[in-house]
Amino acid sequence: MRILALIAVIITGAILIYGTQDMPDWADPQSPASTHVSPRYIEKTLEETATPNAVTSVLADYRGYDTLGETTVIFTAGVCCILILRIRRRHRK
Amino acid sequence: MFDFIISKYNYWIYIVLMMIGFYGMIGKKNLIKKVIGMNIFQTAIILFFISTAAKRGGTLPIIEHGHGHEMQAIEAASYVNPLPHVLMLTAIVVMVSTLGVALAIVIAIYKRYNTLEEEEILKHKI
Amino acid sequence: MILGFDLILLLFVVICAVAALSVKDLLSAVIILGAYSFFMCLLWAEMGAVDVAFTEASVSAGIGTVLFIAAVSKTQRGSKD
Repeated sequence: MRILALIAVIITGAILIYGTQDMPDWADPQSPASTHVSPRYIEKTLEETATPNAVTSVLADYRGYDTLGETTVIFTAGVCCILILRIRRRHRK
Repeated sequence: MFDFIISKYNYWIYIVLMMIGFYGMIGKKNLIKKVIGMNIFQTAIILFFISTAAKRGGTLPIIEHGHGHEMQAIEAASYVNPLPHVLMLTAIVVMVSTLGVALAIVIAIYKRYNTLEEEEILKHKI
Repeated sequence: MILGFDLILLLFVVICAVAALSVKDLLSAVIILGAYSFFMCLLWAEMGAVDVAFTEASVSAGIGTVLFIAAVSKTQRGSKD
């Protein structure tokens, strides 16, 4: 069983490493992720939100609904933990 | 060839980390070890996403001379990409939520079967 | 990006990951996982992601380790692998 797990891990790793040769170079300024959407956030953040920190302005201003959904996730996780770990009292008849 | 290794070795180490976590999830028999493997896997994926934000010659995504100066032209190439950072902030919080629920389930399993080893749990027929 | 610093941090991270999965004592494994989270946080601070770095340092290395220790103290400490 352990040999089987090792074989699966090695095959998956080999496929992923084969896939990295099409990735852009590490820390390349011209990579597609850095040229498409994010320059607008960096250039406009100061005049549109008056916040110098671009991460905060995107997190709480441009993508505020994302953060709202995140709080929903935390709430659901807390309710799940309470439901799983509560101690059930037995009713006396 | 040397340039190829220099530009790609980071990705290879991230994949090695991911595979260590994956082996912990499917190869280890202890339930806490499985949760540790899941944590390593998720952290490696977050590391991979953060690394796509890095730029050579870029600094932190906080605009310099933000207040009290004349508005200057902002060069996007001199700041690190902020978008993966935001997405991964959300992912870290979701990671801790799943960790909490997973550990709660582990405690519930221990209360019922009195063991953490997978094989001993599977011996019980319902 | 400083090449030597980057390589040393990645080496430490991989060593911590292997050690956390191979130690038999679960409490030691959890503490090594906390060290792993802090090295990861250092790596992100080096890449320029400071917000992510201190979220990781407080949430994953702090609350995560506390949750793990609570779970280990409520169950058993030894493991077979």
